[in-house]
Amino acid sequence: MAIINQATKELQVKIVYYGPGRGGKTTNLEQLHSNVQNVQEKGKLVSLATSSDRTLFFDFLPIEAMSIKGFKTKFQLYTVPGQVIYNTTRQLVLRGVDGIVFVADSQYDKMAENVESFANLEENMKALKLNLGDIPYVLQYNKRDLPNVAPVEYMDFLLNNRDVQVPSFPACATRCEGVFDTLNMITRLLLHKFINEGTRKVA
Amino acid sequence: MFSLPPLLEEDIQCMESALDELLQKSEATTALIIDKGGPLITQRGTLNAFDTTTMAALTAGSFAASEAIAGLVGESYFSSVYQQGERQSLWIGNVGSNLLVIVIFKASLGVGVVKYFAVQTTQRIAAQIKKARSRTDENLDLVSLNLLDSSELFKKKA
Repeated sequence: MAIINQATKELQVKIVYYGPGRGGKTTNLEQLHSNVQNVQEKGKLVSLATSSDRTLFFDFLPIEAMSIKGFKTKFQLYTVPGQVIYNTTRQLVLRGVDGIVFVADSQYDKMAENVESFANLEENMKALKLNLGDIPYVLQYNKRDLPNVAPVEYMDFLLNNRDVQVPSFPACATRCEGVFDTLNMITRLLLHKFINEGTRKVA
Repeated sequence: MFSLPPLLEEDIQCMESALDELLQKSEATTALIIDKGGPLITQRGTLNAFDTTTMAALTAGSFAASEAIAGLVGESYFSSVYQQGERQSLWIGNVGSNLLVIVIFKASLGVGVVKYFAVQTTQRIAAQIKKARSRTDENLDLVSLNLLDSSELFKKKA
């Protein structure tokens, strides 16, 4: 859960990019690292990857946002390894998560993998005694530039078919399209959550 | 698992004082307190030689992996992990359910000294976290933040 340090006026938030293998999670972080501006501090992008550039443990990118009304907000962005065999690792990376970006692959033949990965996310959250309904998350439909993509409505039907629909964003992470919209929405949802909880407590 | 309670000035002061004492007694170089999820809470000692934010994230991952390994051999967790180098070594100690203490020290120092003094450090920090958890007004008032500011918190280069 978020770290609130009133001594240093800091809020530290952990966002995890989840989704099927080769869906574009690492590319999201790479694009953010290359293209972000107006941040106070941007750390190094650390990738624990195999020799063939598949994520082995996680990628990590720390970004410190401009201070909001005197509060520094530090976002720690992680990816999980998408390959099915690394499930234990995904559970480890999810520890202490505050918000999730689910990066789905828009290609028709990847729909089964998307659904399986989302179900795996729900299972892993349960294993950590967390409920996906209590954690802000957004969906990103990546690779919209490819020819064989499923319509957004169909992907919403498969992945966003719940009582409360979450925001979803079409994206082409390799061209940095939709990457910032996705991050800004999850940060907005997270700050809303903290403010609402704080308000409830004060009231 | 409890989440970490909001930390006040007195909590951070207590942690820093505990780390200072550890560094002084053990002659270690650097000490950090991190959350098991990866964020760095506070740090003392020689800091400019390391990227401590990255170190915190990687250590949290490494310790989490060691806990999973502990499960495989029938242990609920390992209370500490030691990583030995040629010039610098690193000791990671568990503090309750949320925190870790990382101590970086010259390899010539020997891990026994660090472990010996770190026991008291971890106990002090654990006691302070217990105290922080018992506070009733635990939520930070973030109402004053302007939400409109957050919609475009991160901007893409033109």
